[in-house]
Amino acid sequence: MYTFGIDIGSTSSKAAIIRTGTELIRETVIPLGTGTIGPAQVRKAIFEEVDLQPESICYTIATGYGRLKCDYANEQISELSCHAKGIHFLMPTVHTVIDIGGQDAKALSIDDNGALVNFQMNDKCAAGTGRFLDVMAKVLNVDITDLGPLSLKSQHPAAISNTCTVFAESEVISQLSNDVSLEDIAAGIHYSVAKRVSGMALRIGRKADVAMSGGVALNVGVVCAMEKEMGCPILVHPLCQSAGAIGAAVLAWEKYIKEHQ
Amino acid sequence: MADIMQAIALLQNACANPKAQMNQYIAAGKSVVGCFPPYTPEELVYASGMIPMGLWGGQSELKLAKSYLPAFACPIMQSNMEFTLNGVYQKLSAVIIPTLCDTLRCMTQNWRFGVKEIPMIPLVYPQNRKSPASVDYLISEYEHVLVMLTTITGNMMTEKALSAAIDVYNEHNAVMREFSSIANQHLDVITPKIRHAVFKSAFFYDKKEHAAIVRELTEGLKQMPEFAFQGKKVVLTGILCEPDGVLDVFEENGVAVVADDLAQENRQIRTDTPTHGGGALKRLALQWNARHGCSMIHEDGKPRGPMLVKMCKDNHADGVVNCLMKFCDPEEYDQPYFEADLRQAGLLCLTVEIDTQNTSYEQIRTRVQTFCEMI
Amino acid sequence: MIEPALEQTKAAEAPAKPKRPKAKSMEMIGEQTKALFESAMLAKERGEKVGWSASIFPQELAETLGLVVLYPENHSAGIAARHQADPFLQECEGPLGYSNDLCAYAKVNLAYATVLAGDSEVELPDGGKMVRPDFLLLTNNICNQLTKWYENLAKQLNIPVFFIDTCYNPWDYVTETRVRYVRAQIDQLIHDLCEFVGKQWNEERFRQIMKVSQRNSYLWERANNLMDHKPAPLSGFELFNYMSCMVCNRGKESTTAILEQLNAEIEKHIADGTSTYPVKEEYRVSWDGIACWPYLRHNLHTLKEYGINMVASSYGKAWAIEYDDLDGMARAYCFASTNGDNATTMIDRRMEALKRFDCEGTIYHVNRSCKVMDCQMMEVQRQLSEQASVPFTSFDGDQADYRNYSEAQFETRIQGLVEVMKQNREAKQNG
Repeated sequence: MYTFGIDIGSTSSKAAIIRTGTELIRETVIPLGTGTIGPAQVRKAIFEEVDLQPESICYTIATGYGRLKCDYANEQISELSCHAKGIHFLMPTVHTVIDIGGQDAKALSIDDNGALVNFQMNDKCAAGTGRFLDVMAKVLNVDITDLGPLSLKSQHPAAISNTCTVFAESEVISQLSNDVSLEDIAAGIHYSVAKRVSGMALRIGRKADVAMSGGVALNVGVVCAMEKEMGCPILVHPLCQSAGAIGAAVLAWEKYIKEHQ
Repeated sequence: MADIMQAIALLQNACANPKAQMNQYIAAGKSVVGCFPPYTPEELVYASGMIPMGLWGGQSELKLAKSYLPAFACPIMQSNMEFTLNGVYQKLSAVIIPTLCDTLRCMTQNWRFGVKEIPMIPLVYPQNRKSPASVDYLISEYEHVLVMLTTITGNMMTEKALSAAIDVYNEHNAVMREFSSIANQHLDVITPKIRHAVFKSAFFYDKKEHAAIVRELTEGLKQMPEFAFQGKKVVLTGILCEPDGVLDVFEENGVAVVADDLAQENRQIRTDTPTHGGGALKRLALQWNARHGCSMIHEDGKPRGPMLVKMCKDNHADGVVNCLMKFCDPEEYDQPYFEADLRQAGLLCLTVEIDTQNTSYEQIRTRVQTFCEMI
Repeated sequence: MIEPALEQTKAAEAPAKPKRPKAKSMEMIGEQTKALFESAMLAKERGEKVGWSASIFPQELAETLGLVVLYPENHSAGIAARHQADPFLQECEGPLGYSNDLCAYAKVNLAYATVLAGDSEVELPDGGKMVRPDFLLLTNNICNQLTKWYENLAKQLNIPVFFIDTCYNPWDYVTETRVRYVRAQIDQLIHDLCEFVGKQWNEERFRQIMKVSQRNSYLWERANNLMDHKPAPLSGFELFNYMSCMVCNRGKESTTAILEQLNAEIEKHIADGTSTYPVKEEYRVSWDGIACWPYLRHNLHTLKEYGINMVASSYGKAWAIEYDDLDGMARAYCFASTNGDNATTMIDRRMEALKRFDCEGTIYHVNRSCKVMDCQMMEVQRQLSEQASVPFTSFDGDQADYRNYSEAQFETRIQGLVEVMKQNREAKQNG
C-alpha cells in the first residue's frame, strides 16, 4: 500500500511516494512553488515516473507553505514535523536538523522515532537564509551555484560583521573596492550565515548526529562553515530537499495505520 | 444562550470600536483619561468621577511615530504614538504614563513635547518594594497624579469616593476571575478570541458596568451543561495576544486558552487592593507591593517559571504559548528562565512573536500547528 | 577552527607616523585597572566577598567598607573594544536562549557569568579576571534593563542584589519624596551590606571617601572643561579612556593622582600650544551617546579626515555628584545619570556643553543597545538643533555588538555633516 506526501513550498514543490511506510518508491522536485503550476506538475510527474495511479494511494498528507490549498490531501501537517520525520527516514541516527531555505531557517530537535521535540525558526530576517546568499552572489557577480566552491578556496576569510543584509551588502562592496579576493569575501559571507544559523540552532541544543537540509544544504561552503561553527560534523543527504515530502508520506502511513487499527 | 451571545457581542463591539465607547461617556458628561500599559492607578481616575481607558496600541501604518521612535521600539508604543499624532485620542482629557520600562520612560517625554493638547501625567512606580519607604513614596506619586488630574480637569476626589472605587475594582477583579474559571467549562462558547474580548473590553468601560455584563455572561454560562473540550489547552504568557488573527490561528488548530499571564489580561485582575491597612491611598499603594510575577516589576528569584508551571497544572494545560511582544526587553530577560522551568516540568513552551502591525499570520500558523503536533 | 579575521582588511595605507609616547596619565590608568582586577583576585583567594556594581551606584558605600567591586558595564566595553565580544554574543543568543534585542553589555556579561558559573565553555580571553561575584550592587538611574540583567545574574550565581531604586525624574528637579525614599534605601542598604560582608560602617572613613570622591568629580569635570580651549588640547575620544577611573575607582586616591596628572598634562598642552589631536582642528563637535567601542578606530579615522575633534560629550558632567551628607547623596544619585533625567534637563545640559565648547555640530550615536536614549533622542536632537542652531547627524552603531554598524553609513553621514557645517560657516562669514 502506498502513501503520498507533497511539500508545497514558496519556491518549489516536492512530492514523495512511500510503500508501507518503509520503502521510498520515488521523490520528485519541481522548482515552482505555491500559487504556480508547480504543485499540480509535481503530482502529475511523480505518478507518471512510477507508473502508478493516484487511486492506489491510501493516504495523502500535504505540508509546506501552500499546504492549506491542497484540496485532495487527507490532512495537512506543518513542514517542521514532516521534515523531522523525513530526515529521520533518510538518516535514522540524526537528532538535530538545520534547515536553511530560501527565505527562512529552522532548527529541529528530533527523538529516536523522528518525532519533533523542539524547534527554533528564523522567518523574519533575510540574514542567515538563502536570500542573503542570493543578494551577495549578485554583488560578487558569481553564480549562486559557484559561491560555495569558491569560498572553499579561501585562506583568509574576510569578516562580514553585519547581520543586516543591507549593511552587509555595503560591507561586501567595500571589501571588493579594497581588492579583497572573491574567495575571501565568499568565505566571509558563508561564515556570516553559519554564525547566524548556528546561534539559532544552539538554542535548542546540539545532539548528534547533526544534519543539514533545505536548498542551502547543497552549498558546500555553508556546510563547511556550519561544521566549524557548530563544532561537529554535519551530514547532508542527497535527497534532503525532499525531506518534507518524504516525511509527509511516512506520517501518512502512520496516520493510515492508526485509523484502520 | 441568547443573553450570553448578547453580552459577548457588547464586549466585542467595545473592543472593535473603543472610540464609540469614549464618545458615549463624553456625551454623558464624563471626562476620559487615557491609561498607558501596563499598570496605572485607574481607581484614582474613577474616584475623581472620570473614566479611565486603556491605550494598548493597535494595528496602524507607522509614519508620524517615526519622528519620535526608532524602528526597535515596541509596537504598542509605536502605534500609541501614531494614533495620538493622528488625532485618534484627541478627546482624552489627559494621559497617565507609568515609567516601567525604558521605552515608557521615553514616551513621557515624547508625549510631553509631541502631544501638547493632551496633558501627560508621568508616574514613577517604586521598584524596591522591600523598602517600607516605597509605600510613602508611591502615595506621594499618586497624590501628584491627583493634583495633576484636578488641575487639568477640575475634578477632585474624596476619601470615600476612592474607597468606593477600590471596592468597584476589587469586585471587578473577582468577577473576571470567576469568568476565567467558569469559561474553562464552556470552551465551545468561550473561544480564544472571545475570551480575549471579555478581558480587553474592560479597558473601555466603567468597571462597574463591565463587571455587570461579565457577571451576566458568567451566570449564563453556568446554566449550560459543561462542555468536554477535546482539543489542546494552553496558558498564554506575555504582554498581550493580538490581533484577532493570532487568536483565530489558535481556534483553527483546536487550541483553547485556559488561563493567562498576560499584562493586558490576567495581570490586571489577579491582585486585589487590601481592604484594611490604612486609608484608601495607602491601601492602593500596598496593592502595588502585592503584585507578583510580572516582568516589569522587580522581583528576586525569577518566580515566573514556577508560577506558570502551577498555572498549567491547576488548569490542566498542555503547555504555554509565550506571546513575546516584539522588542520587549523586560520579557526577553525572563524568557530563558521560564522556558527552562517549563521544560524541566515536562511542559511544552512555544514562543510566537507578537507584532500588532503584522497583517499576515502564516508564520504563527506554522508554529502553532507544529506545537500542537508535538503535544 | 579557523577564525575569520575580525579586523577589516584594508588597502595599503600611508606609511605609519612615529607613535608619540603614551601619556603618563594613560599609563597610570592602565596600572590602576590592572591593580583593581588583581585586588579582586587576591580578595577571592583570601575568601573575601567581591561585588559587581552598576556604573552609577553610590560607590562611596562599597569604598567605605573597603570592598572590592568590579563593573560589568566597563568590563563589557573593554571586551567589545578589544574585539573579543563575538563568542559571548553567540553564546548568549545561542545556547543561553536570549534575544538579540537586548543591551550588548548585558549579553556579553550574562554569557561571561555563565562561564564563571561553570555552565558554559566559552574561553575567557582575560583568563577570568572579572571574578565571580558574591553580591551585586544595583541602581536603575541609568536604565531599567540593568534591573532585569542583575535579576538574572543574581539567580544564575545565587547571590544577593543590594538595590537602590533611583527613580526617574520627569520633573526638572529631584522631588523631596524621591530623596526620602532613596535615603531610606541607602540607610537600609548600608545596614544589610555590613551584615552580609561582616564589616562595620565607619562614619569617619565615609567622610574621607566623600571628600576624595568630590575632589575626583571636580578634577574630572575640570579636565573635561579644559576642552573649551581652542584648539582643544586633547583628541576628545581619549577622555572616553579615562572614564574607567571615574566608573570603577571614583572614591580612590589613585584616581585623584591620575586626574591631577591628566589636568597637568592638559594644561601643559595649552601652555605649549600642542594637542594630542593628530591633525589641525577644523571642526569642533559634540558626541551624543557612549562610544561605539568596537569601531572607535574607524570613527577616529573618519573624523580625522575632516579635522573633526569631539570636544564635548554628555559624560563630562556625568559624575558631577556634589553633596556633603547622605540626603545630598540620595538626591545626587537620582540626578546623576543623564538617562534618569527628563528631556528638558537633558537638553539644558547639552545646550550648556554646545555653547561652552563652541561646537558647530553634533554626532549622535544611535546605540542599538540603548533604548532609554534612542527612544527620546529624536525629539531632544530636534530641539537642541533648533535652539542652538547647530546641525546634527546620527549613525547606527552599538556600544558592544559589532554587528550593528556600517562603515559606509558612518562615512557618508559624517561627510554630510561636514558639508552642512561648512555651509553654515560660510553663511556666517558672509554675514
